[in-house]
Amino acid sequence: MTLELVWPALLGLLLAGYFVLAGLDYGVQMLAPTLGRDDGERRSLLNAFGPFFLGNEVWLVAAAGVLFGAFPFLEGRLLSGMYFLFAAILAGIVVGNAAVQVRSRHRSASARRIWDGLIFVGGLVPAAGWGLVTGRLLAGVPLDARNAFSLGPADLLDPFVLLCGATTTAVFLAHGASFLAWRTGGEPSARAARAARRALLVAAVAAAAVLVAGYLSPARHTVVNSWPALATGAALVIALLAGAALLGAGRGGRAFAATSCAAALPVVALGAGLHPFVLVSSGAPGTGLRLTEAMADAATLRILVGFAAVMVPLMLLAQAWNWWLFRHRAGRTPTYL
Amino acid sequence: MTDETLARLQFATTAGFHWLFVMLTLGLAPLIAVTHTRHALRGSPLTERMTRFWGQIYVVNYVLGIVTGLVMEFQFGLAWSGLSEYAGNVFGAPLALETIVAFFAESTFLGMWIFGWGRLPKAVHVTLIWLVTLTAYASAYWIMVANGFLQHPVGHEVRDGVARLTDFGAMLTNPNAINALVHAASAALMTGGVFMAGVSSYHFLKRTAERAFFRASLRLGLFVATPAAFVALYYGFVQIPTLVETQPMKAATLRGHVDDIGSLRVEDVQAQLVQRFGAGDYRPPAWIATAFDVMQDVGYLILLLIIVALILLYRDWYLRFRPAAYLMLVAVPLPFVAALGGWLLREVGRQPWAVYGELTTAAARSHVGSMLASLVLFGSVFLALAIADWALIIRYARRGPADTDLGGSPPDGHAERPAASLAL
Ligand code: HDD
Ligand code: HEM
Ligand code: HEM
Repeated sequence: MTLELVWPALLGLLLAGYFVLAGLDYGVQMLAPTLGRDDGERRSLLNAFGPFFLGNEVWLVAAAGVLFGAFPFLEGRLLSGMYFLFAAILAGIVVGNAAVQVRSRHRSASARRIWDGLIFVGGLVPAAGWGLVTGRLLAGVPLDARNAFSLGPADLLDPFVLLCGATTTAVFLAHGASFLAWRTGGEPSARAARAARRALLVAAVAAAAVLVAGYLSPARHTVVNSWPALATGAALVIALLAGAALLGAGRGGRAFAATSCAAALPVVALGAGLHPFVLVSSGAPGTGLRLTEAMADAATLRILVGFAAVMVPLMLLAQAWNWWLFRHRAGRTPTYL
Repeated sequence: MTDETLARLQFATTAGFHWLFVMLTLGLAPLIAVTHTRHALRGSPLTERMTRFWGQIYVVNYVLGIVTGLVMEFQFGLAWSGLSEYAGNVFGAPLALETIVAFFAESTFLGMWIFGWGRLPKAVHVTLIWLVTLTAYASAYWIMVANGFLQHPVGHEVRDGVARLTDFGAMLTNPNAINALVHAASAALMTGGVFMAGVSSYHFLKRTAERAFFRASLRLGLFVATPAAFVALYYGFVQIPTLVETQPMKAATLRGHVDDIGSLRVEDVQAQLVQRFGAGDYRPPAWIATAFDVMQDVGYLILLLIIVALILLYRDWYLRFRPAAYLMLVAVPLPFVAALGGWLLREVGRQPWAVYGELTTAAARSHVGSMLASLVLFGSVFLALAIADWALIIRYARRGPADTDLGGSPPDGHAERPAASLAL
């Protein structure tokens, strides 16, 4: 019984952690090439997330592992069903992740400009892609009798889904900008704060538009728990506006806390909106793949839980230690990245 | 080409790239941990520079290990969803454990190690690289447990057409996983050692100023590569009896290429399998025997080269005898060739099964539209990134320790060390 709670909670935690931490990476990646006026500035912006970069990305790896280990009957259906969307997201992450790490290993300015372009693309594609995934899951997928599905391009060209993609893009952009405003100093920090406020307002408008579109479109009927989903959407708008206000008041740390909440909320929306389902059918609202059907055997879960009970706290401790060690603001001087 | 072939090609491409980088990661990590420890204990500048120079190459190599690994992780769900439908209860567990037991710590700690130069207390900094090493090998263990299950499925029963875990211990001690792990891990260590010796030899040939530096590196590389090579070869042979027992068809295909195959013959095994599983062709392509020959012959060649080099270490003959340095330089790519041969043997030799004797590769495939676009996408992205990454590795290797970014002052002429610049 408790296993049925532990695993969805852990998957939610890992996904939310991924959205918050890698979300700031993607935001910084989209901003750094244009926000940094010269090469030195661009490097110091990237170095603001430097010590955390590898640790941020790995939350996705852990989420995928838990998805496979504990939810094997969701994993295959979900990933193969959204094949090209996930392939695009992965390719984006691959390119962006490599570009961030090797950009400054090149001495020539022209080579660095090429990597800068890829850093941008590698932030944009996953940022938009995860919004499309979230939107499509909320609005339901064309399930067949075996609860399998396969998306076509038309399934993404839905106003609700597209708006979700625009929203996560703007949210991550704002989140990355507020991170930079908080972690760097001087002129780049002020520039990042201005960019963050603008992005936060755009994101708030986009999130509000998602709520309206969700109400007007068929998505209204597929979301299983419409009130919790709606409340999460409203919370998103509030968090974004709060972030903008806090930045205006010069409270960088708190603004970052607000954008962190905003970045996590799409995951909350999925959990709150779909429970007890993990996939809902767009054709026949109220039916779909249930959480309990998606999970592995109790025997498997019991073994996994033993390891997780030891490892998950250690994991979180290691990450907290990392943030504590590198808690000082990044300077103007570029370091490794 | 059918979608199935394309999907298999896509997995093989991703895994092949992944392995080329991961092998060097596994091989270099312990060597760097050792030099870093020596530095922390004695504080000599030479070992600090060694740690930074080889660490720089390691870190650049790691970039592609991560990004290809990420795609590997998702491949199962993307292209082989039949695998999770059938074996998700069993096969997913080691993969999940790999991520939460190993990768999470590995990535977090590596980030801290890279940025920790001059910032962290020495003992903490050294502990980090040991943790990175330890977790890299832990991840190798878990992934081999998962792969071992595909090769020789143990510890489960099949109810209602779905595999269910019954004996986790049997999975963790699967001989097919353990022997392969020892074989592949020691091959990786040998790769790291040969790489160090080869790059050092380049600097002897170029007569660069860093003689003491590369003399120490050469010795470390050879001292590790030699025992590792013996273990790798020994555990190569250890695998043969396991194969005869658990994968008779693969073993039979090697008939005439290695002893100990016994009376197995491809035609006989084929007839037996038809009797057991119904009509069908259960033979893997015959060329896997060639892959085996390549691995074995190249393995002997490497061993020979290392032993000669080891003898020449006496009184530093090696530094004066240029042909030896040339040979060691040429040897750098050889372990990679041998290891790809080994994996082709292991994975292609398992065909037509995804889970040996239980689930065919055809049945494991996801039914998604044409795979061609994604194969081209991933293939070209990986190829371009791999070339860029190798070019960087070669450049760092050639420039030598004076020109290392890791832990040093930034290359743009800013004099501060990261310590001074990060703390504001
Ligand atoms: C014997 C070793 C070995 C084998 C067979 C594999 N890997 Fe691997 N993998 C490693 C050893 C490794 C490694 C040495 O631990 C990494 C860490 C970074 C690197 O360069 O290699 C790695 C990286 C790595 C990462 C990135 C982790 C991060 O973000 O830090 C992922 C997601 C995977 N791998 C997944 C896989 C999957 C799904 C495999 C299944 C076929 C696989 N690897 C085969
Ligand atoms: C990293 C080194 C590895 C390499 C180089 C490698 C190589 C290959 C190759 C060449 C194929 C294609 C076989 C064919 O189509 O005939 C393949 C398929 C496959 N391998 Fe591996 N492999 C590696 C590791 C693994 C591991 C560790 C696992 C499991 C955890 C694994 C699971 C699979 C699966 C599921 C397929 C696709 C289905 C199949 O063809 O059976 N591989 N691999
Ligand atoms: C006398 C020399 C060698 C012998 C007899 C040998 C034997 C084998 C055998 C039988 C396998 C297949 C195992 C299976 O499919 O289950 C294998 C796999 C493999 N070999 Fe070798 N090997 C030798 C040398 C090497 C060398 C020098 C390397 C690398 C530098 C290497 C790397 C690998 C790898 C990576 C695999 C795939 C993973 C595994 O099954 O362990 N081998 N080897």
